[in-house]
Amino acid sequence: MTRYVMVVDLRRCVGCQTCTVACRHTNGTPPGVQWRSVLDVESGEYPDVRRTFVPVGCQHCAKPPCMYVCPTTATRQRDDGIVTINYDYCIGCGYCIVACPYQARYKVTKQRYAYGSEPMENEALREDPGRIGVATKCTYCFDRIDAGRSQGLIPGVDPEATPSCVSSCIAAALHFGDIEDAESNVSGLLRENEHFRMHEELGAEPGSYYLWDKRQ
Amino acid sequence: MKNGSNKATKSIPTYCYQCVAGPDLLTVKVENDVATAVEPNFAAAEIHPAAGTVCVKAYGLVQKTYNPRRILTPMKRTNPRKGRDEDPGFVPVSWDEALELVAEKLNEIQATGLLDKSGYPRVAASFGGAGTPTAYMGTLPAFLASWGPIDMSFGSGQGVKCYHSEHLYGELWHRAFTVCSDTPLTEYIVSFGANVEASAGVCGVWRHAEARERGVKRVQIEPHLSVTGGCSAEWVPIRPKTDPAFLHAMLNVILHENPRDALDLPFLRIRTASPYLVGPNSFYLRDPDSHKPLMWDQRSGRAVPFDTADADPALEGEFTVTGIEIGADNETWEHEAAKCMTAFSKLVEHEKQYTPEWAAEICDVPAETIRRIANEFLEHAQVGATVEIEGRELPFRPVAVVLGKTVSNGWGGYDCAWARTLLACLVGGLDVPGGTLGTTVRLNRPAKDRHRSVRPDPDGFLAYPWNPTDSEGWLSRPTVRHGYRTLVPLSANSPWSQALGPTHLAWMQQQEPFPHWPEPTLPDVWFVYRTNPAISFWDTDKVSEAMAKFPFVVAFAYTLDETNYMADVLLPEATDLESLQLIRIGGTKYIEYFWDYQGFALRQPVVKARGEARDFTWIATELARRTGLLEKYNKAINRGATSIPLQGESYDYSLDVSEAHPAETIWDAICRAASAELSDGGENGGLDWYREHGFKVKPFSRLKWYLYPAIVDNDLRFEMPYQERLYRIGHQLRNRLHEQGINWWDKQLTEYEPLPIWHDLPAMIKQAIAKNLEGADEDYPFWLLTARSMQYSWGSNVGVQEMKEVADNVKGHKGILINSSKATELGIRDGDLIEVRSALRATRGPAVLQQGIRPDTVLMIGQFDHWATPFAKDFNVPSMNALVPMLMDLTDSTGSSADIVPVAVAPVGGKR
Repeated sequence: MTRYVMVVDLRRCVGCQTCTVACRHTNGTPPGVQWRSVLDVESGEYPDVRRTFVPVGCQHCAKPPCMYVCPTTATRQRDDGIVTINYDYCIGCGYCIVACPYQARYKVTKQRYAYGSEPMENEALREDPGRIGVATKCTYCFDRIDAGRSQGLIPGVDPEATPSCVSSCIAAALHFGDIEDAESNVSGLLRENEHFRMHEELGAEPGSYYLWDKRQ
Repeated sequence: MKNGSNKATKSIPTYCYQCVAGPDLLTVKVENDVATAVEPNFAAAEIHPAAGTVCVKAYGLVQKTYNPRRILTPMKRTNPRKGRDEDPGFVPVSWDEALELVAEKLNEIQATGLLDKSGYPRVAASFGGAGTPTAYMGTLPAFLASWGPIDMSFGSGQGVKCYHSEHLYGELWHRAFTVCSDTPLTEYIVSFGANVEASAGVCGVWRHAEARERGVKRVQIEPHLSVTGGCSAEWVPIRPKTDPAFLHAMLNVILHENPRDALDLPFLRIRTASPYLVGPNSFYLRDPDSHKPLMWDQRSGRAVPFDTADADPALEGEFTVTGIEIGADNETWEHEAAKCMTAFSKLVEHEKQYTPEWAAEICDVPAETIRRIANEFLEHAQVGATVEIEGRELPFRPVAVVLGKTVSNGWGGYDCAWARTLLACLVGGLDVPGGTLGTTVRLNRPAKDRHRSVRPDPDGFLAYPWNPTDSEGWLSRPTVRHGYRTLVPLSANSPWSQALGPTHLAWMQQQEPFPHWPEPTLPDVWFVYRTNPAISFWDTDKVSEAMAKFPFVVAFAYTLDETNYMADVLLPEATDLESLQLIRIGGTKYIEYFWDYQGFALRQPVVKARGEARDFTWIATELARRTGLLEKYNKAINRGATSIPLQGESYDYSLDVSEAHPAETIWDAICRAASAELSDGGENGGLDWYREHGFKVKPFSRLKWYLYPAIVDNDLRFEMPYQERLYRIGHQLRNRLHEQGINWWDKQLTEYEPLPIWHDLPAMIKQAIAKNLEGADEDYPFWLLTARSMQYSWGSNVGVQEMKEVADNVKGHKGILINSSKATELGIRDGDLIEVRSALRATRGPAVLQQGIRPDTVLMIGQFDHWATPFAKDFNVPSMNALVPMLMDLTDSTGSSADIVPVAVAPVGGKR
């Protein structure tokens, strides 16, 4: 079996938002929709303050709450763990948006453009009416993964077969791969580093693992 | 999603050089002739230090191309009145009409003379972004070279927004226009506000991430917890502009609280001026015959010239010596038996007063913290360790000190640059593996090779191209309005020197002329490209008023903005993804940009230029043709004005100088010359080759990352710790200026001290404000600072929606950062509108509450406050620039000032 996961190295992330905008470019999301973004989190009180940059997005949970509440089976889970949305089935009820503990889902009800009411050429070319009025979220760039695998490439190793947020990261803070493969890059990282998952107590078994150093 | 399978899709390589920390390589996805996505250039993963990635700014280029607010036809002004309240009345005109308007003005100047009655160039030009516009202006440099004298002194931020002291003193001391840690090897970094995670580009970010993972400790000393502070092991919230005191105290701890043998004593004796003897008049004691500086030879028990073979120089002590001192203007003192201390002993004595306890009060940092950091620096230095680099054994000193912008600028910049360089020398860590490195030269030549710029000075130091200060050589009459060659000896006279002059003086004179200085005439023609000084300089209202008086302004324009609002002609150049240019990549360049490869990369049109926008090379060629300069222009291209000579020892791709060549022809020749240069004439890949492959490189020796090998090979010394040359030059400059009756530069002259003396900088700033403007100290209890934004810095991309959207994820981009507890004390909640008032004027914006900022500090990120630039004018985010006055009292001897101003903060109701 394969289960694709994301490993986020909090020691490396600088909050630059390159992944945020790379996702926009790859997936053609409209303004205001950030399938991936980086939170700028402050903790402590002056002068003992920490500032941490936390990349977030769909966690592709093993037990996805969004999928369980979906009344139309639009949200499904692939064999490799990727949680998908079939826009043709989605009725835009928004249950999944409420159910997601990670606030990873978006819904827009009309086309949005960067500058006013008219699309630029690049926006017009990529406009997708099928995404209006339905839930959307990070796909783990499964089209890249599938196309890459069909050419013998390895997701998480070959950039063309890897989610664009990962392959664009300028700090190598994002990693992607198959956690079921003990020899994979992500398995190695998890073996060698302290890590946690966000809101693990909720039981969704999220697929984003955060590397950190407890001592800091 | 629409089915992409039936579209004609291409991936086209190009480069991004929007910020000084590049260039980097990318590909652009083009579908049906429309650019849709930016991606890293994975083909460069093996040769690029950050695996071929590009930062967030590069992704804005697609929107930049299709932005509907672009200016897409040449325009001319129809309203002869200029000012913020005057609609320019721009109307579209043909390229022919627009270029004729410009050429007519230029031809008039050629007929009447290139210099005006004050001796200043009638043509001025301002370019922004730390030299990055040259990576976008095609062959314009060849046109400028063919023209003759051009005044580039109207600053767009240089001197007040750059790392000014670092640039000038860095070049003097270790050929270091920019300075950084040897991040791939270092283990301990003391960073005084160097915001590298925002400003060091992808090379810096990638390498620091690697360093953190392997356990490097970076201590970030700065008033607000920046992005870089957030990524550091420790944050020390220092009081603004007290960094020199902290650095002095570090020196004190190292020199007075540690055993001497903790230092790299051989390095100090052999590779610095530490053993040089200092005479009673503060100049080196010299050999009467050779005039060489003397040092005390412990072997022979007498003073000997510094280059005496087999000498065993005393590092410390006072000796009775015979010799001469040579002061300003060759004033000479002869000494029979003068008591002379070594330069090192002078240093030790000088630093004794600056204890951690003394600094603690000034910096608002506990003495123990300062002491611990100094000792950690020393402990991590591994004095005595070596490492082999490409077969050569070099010292290994994995410690570095780096400086931020406001730390490097203005008063205190000299102290900080000096202390940083000296700390490296004390442990033998200057420009060696693991240590504090310089990465490029801009004032010394040749610009493409630091090592080849190493030449000996008679005193055993690196020779420096000072602007002369002796009676015969001093340029009493400035050649450009800010007078860099007259006022700032350190700024030298390279093509970059004008940008390193005291650029705010050019603007200040437009308000009030300086006594005994030429009349501050207006330039007849002012070219502006990729810069917006009406936003990016200080006292922006005054700068705007000044430029509104300029009689003829030609702006290469992307959208309307606050500077080209005053223009007479707008020329829309094809932008980043639409035009053609080849530039050098790799080697060692700015900030942390040092590679294992060097070569060239092509920027090419990935899509057809929008509207009537034209390739810059076409525009430059047309200007040359219409002004009768075509032959000179082509000769300048052949000479290498685009950075690559077209003729070498084994190749010749020179252009016919009599013809106006298409841009493709010109760049094809340049590409072929580049290929030949990389292969010693063996290859001639032209434009088509680069269009397909994007870049071409060859290996670059890692030994060239470090200057130390060149210092050893030339048997030179780093000019540390004592600054005898600066001291003499300062005296000479005083003499020259006073001979002309110029007294308004006297305060700046006091900075020429052989060992920097702590000045109470916060008090100095407040006193200068009180003297020149209104208000008492207590009226302005906060310090207003700024910080770089990776999403915007140098990018000229403020009109790109995508940048705004993602930048807003980073704290501070939506308002004014203020300490949460302090805000609560003032009744300010997150998001409340607040007023920030300096003695100059007030601005407003929403409060952003943060624990990670000192209670006496507020901060405005970036440079916004736009009122004409489409999209950006709706940000509702203020800028500090409008609040900061340009004052002679705050100008240092290099001509720079620091980005800091005392302010009052108060909650207000209503909208901005």
